Amino acid sequence: MAAIEFQAVSKVFPDGTRAVDSLDLEIKEDEFMVFVGPSGCGKTTALRMVAGLEEISEGTISIGGRVVNEVQSKDRDVAMVFQNYALYPHMTVAQNLAFGLKLRKFDKAEVRRRVSVAAATLGLEDYLERKPSALSGGQRQRVAMGRAIVREPHAYLMDEPLSNLDAQLRVQVRAEIQKLQRTLGVTTIYVTHDQTEAMTMGDRIAVMRGGTLQQVDAPEQVYRWPVNRFVAGFIGSPAMNMVNARLTRANGDLVASFGQHSLVIGEEVLANRPALRAHEGGEVVLGIRPEDIEDAAFAAEAPGRTLTVVCTLREALGAEVLVHFSAVDDESAALIARVDQLTAARMGEPLQLVVDTSRLHFFEPASGLAIYGEGGRVGAPVAA
Amino acid sequence: MIVVPGRRRARSVEGSGPALIGPDEWRRARVRWGFGGAQVLLLIGLIVIGLGPLVWLAKSAITPTNDTITYPMALFPHGAAWSNLHEAWSNVQVGKYFWNTVVLAIGSWFAQVFVATTAGFALSVLRPAYAKVITALLLTTLFVPAVVLLVPLYVEIVHPPLIHHSFIDSYWAVWLPAGASAFNVVLVARFFDNLPREIFEAARIDGAGPFRLFWSVVLPMSKPILGVVSVFAVLASWKDFLWPLLVLTNPDEQPLSVRLPQIQSQTSLGVFLAALFIASLVPIIGFLIFQRSFLRGTGLGGAIKG
Ligand SMILES: Nc1ncnc2c1ncn2[C@@H]1O[C@H](COP(=O)(O)OP(=O)(O)OP(=O)(O)O)[C@@H](O)[C@H]1O
Ligand SMILES: [Mg+2]
Repeated sequence: MAAIEFQAVSKVFPDGTRAVDSLDLEIKEDEFMVFVGPSGCGKTTALRMVAGLEEISEGTISIGGRVVNEVQSKDRDVAMVFQNYALYPHMTVAQNLAFGLKLRKFDKAEVRRRVSVAAATLGLEDYLERKPSALSGGQRQRVAMGRAIVREPHAYLMDEPLSNLDAQLRVQVRAEIQKLQRTLGVTTIYVTHDQTEAMTMGDRIAVMRGGTLQQVDAPEQVYRWPVNRFVAGFIGSPAMNMVNARLTRANGDLVASFGQHSLVIGEEVLANRPALRAHEGGEVVLGIRPEDIEDAAFAAEAPGRTLTVVCTLREALGAEVLVHFSAVDDESAALIARVDQLTAARMGEPLQLVVDTSRLHFFEPASGLAIYGEGGRVGAPVAA
Repeated sequence: MIVVPGRRRARSVEGSGPALIGPDEWRRARVRWGFGGAQVLLLIGLIVIGLGPLVWLAKSAITPTNDTITYPMALFPHGAAWSNLHEAWSNVQVGKYFWNTVVLAIGSWFAQVFVATTAGFALSVLRPAYAKVITALLLTTLFVPAVVLLVPLYVEIVHPPLIHHSFIDSYWAVWLPAGASAFNVVLVARFFDNLPREIFEAARIDGAGPFRLFWSVVLPMSKPILGVVSVFAVLASWKDFLWPLLVLTNPDEQPLSVRLPQIQSQTSLGVFLAALFIASLVPIIGFLIFQRSFLRGTGLGGAIKG
């Protein structure tokens, strides 16, 4: 319905906390944008500035081309779903849904129509006359959603709306929200610290850390081409394995070695990361996603791709097995491989693992920035 | 903690939380009779102290004056004198003073609730930058004894600023000062502070301006504190003596609290006691009716997850 644009937006709280630091971001019309990041990174603050609940210290926010810095919440025409629902306790579900419409002077028939449409969409027809205190958590959550959708606003702002639901309900409501957003086609900012939600829901995701934006891109792009160690570690579950490795040249191939292991870096990696060559002879941080490591019994073995390790812990998840192992003697931090469910790996026993070397990640040890380089992958991601 | 011994034991056995006396100890006869007996005595004592004077007043209100004087402890030696009540109501005009009291109480109640809620809303919910200063000033006024303020307040009522028309002998002289209660404002503001702010924010995003927010969201959520303020306001107004005596000089306008001492010299003891009884009836009945609905829990369940 309306694009939302952050231009060099900062938020400084009276106590000096810089919760959001010069945020530049454009959210397109009808886009589902997810703000994701660890606790305290400023996601909620950014969202509240869009809603008009928090003053904008620096920069401008515009909604639908109109700068809203000085516009009151009630005149911004956005709807917000709060983390803790914030339903009106003294009103029935129907009154909760209708409140915003009444204040906007819709006529009675229209209010009734919209409330019943929203109630039908969210499966709330049977609860319309109940007070919020007589609803379950999931039902309250749906009322909070309903209060947003009856309004048909310029934008939805959702602050961790699923965080209070149990795992099963969360998956279900997650799908509902996505479907709803697609059918209604309303620009949405969705805040979460759950990277699964971010990956599955967003058209694009904005990864934040300590008030600064790290990267904005489609989920799979962020997953495949993270701009730095932080993003690489935050997106993906289990998190990407990181080890310090030395780049050397052997038999004409570039090799990354750590502990007693060495991996030959594939051609496609070098094509995407030309800057890697400059690190020859130096230290880099090597990133390997757990899902890029497979039990040798289930993968084509190849020289320069195999790790011989001892399994220190085995976690069977059903569809797959997480194998923990340590690759570097002096490092207690375990690495994790996500291998086939039929793996023969046993705790304390040696194991052959094969790494998909076409999907290795490399980072500069000092700055933590991903190594891509001129002509490499990743156009121009935002990085701090 | 006055519980009949038998029930006390049953509850202790169910065993929620530490009991003063454990279930095993209750089984010992000496403990049971000693402790249980003490509880019953305490209960009786409290009833006598709390209810006794009221019952005595009710009894005396319908006893002929002679009997009350001659046999103070006897129960209706020569029958009841219901006429006392009627005489007090119409001849001594307790009815009229009663009505005056009601009007004064309603006005004072309204002034107090109006000022307390609007000021509390401004200080706690709207929170302008200077709210802290105002709250601090309000708190400091709580340290000034009411007696000290009597003379300046009186002068202000006689020569009100801007209006230049004395309020003496008008009910405004009672109603307006009643509203100026720092205690109520602080009480209500603290209550508003504890309401979940997200709900106010949700209302603002839903399109509510300050007035809407106050009327449709904050007030309905504040019934418990409105009840408390109302009970205090009505009771305080009902029994206030000094201020109405000062500002209402016309006997036809005075409330019961001011008139009762004068009535005493004009009528017989029986009728006077009947008047006293009528005067104390309203606060008691009112409290019995409203204590439940006003003083119970907040009823905010389900508003927010937490
Ligand atoms: N009113 C405030 N005054 C001072 N600092 C604040 C205030 N509100 C938030 N902060 C700080 O700003 C930072 C960002 O807070 P914010 O609520 O935006 O985090 P978040 O990303 O939403 O985290 P979470 O995932 O835990 O909800 C935090 O460090 C927080 O302590
Ligand atoms: Mg938050």
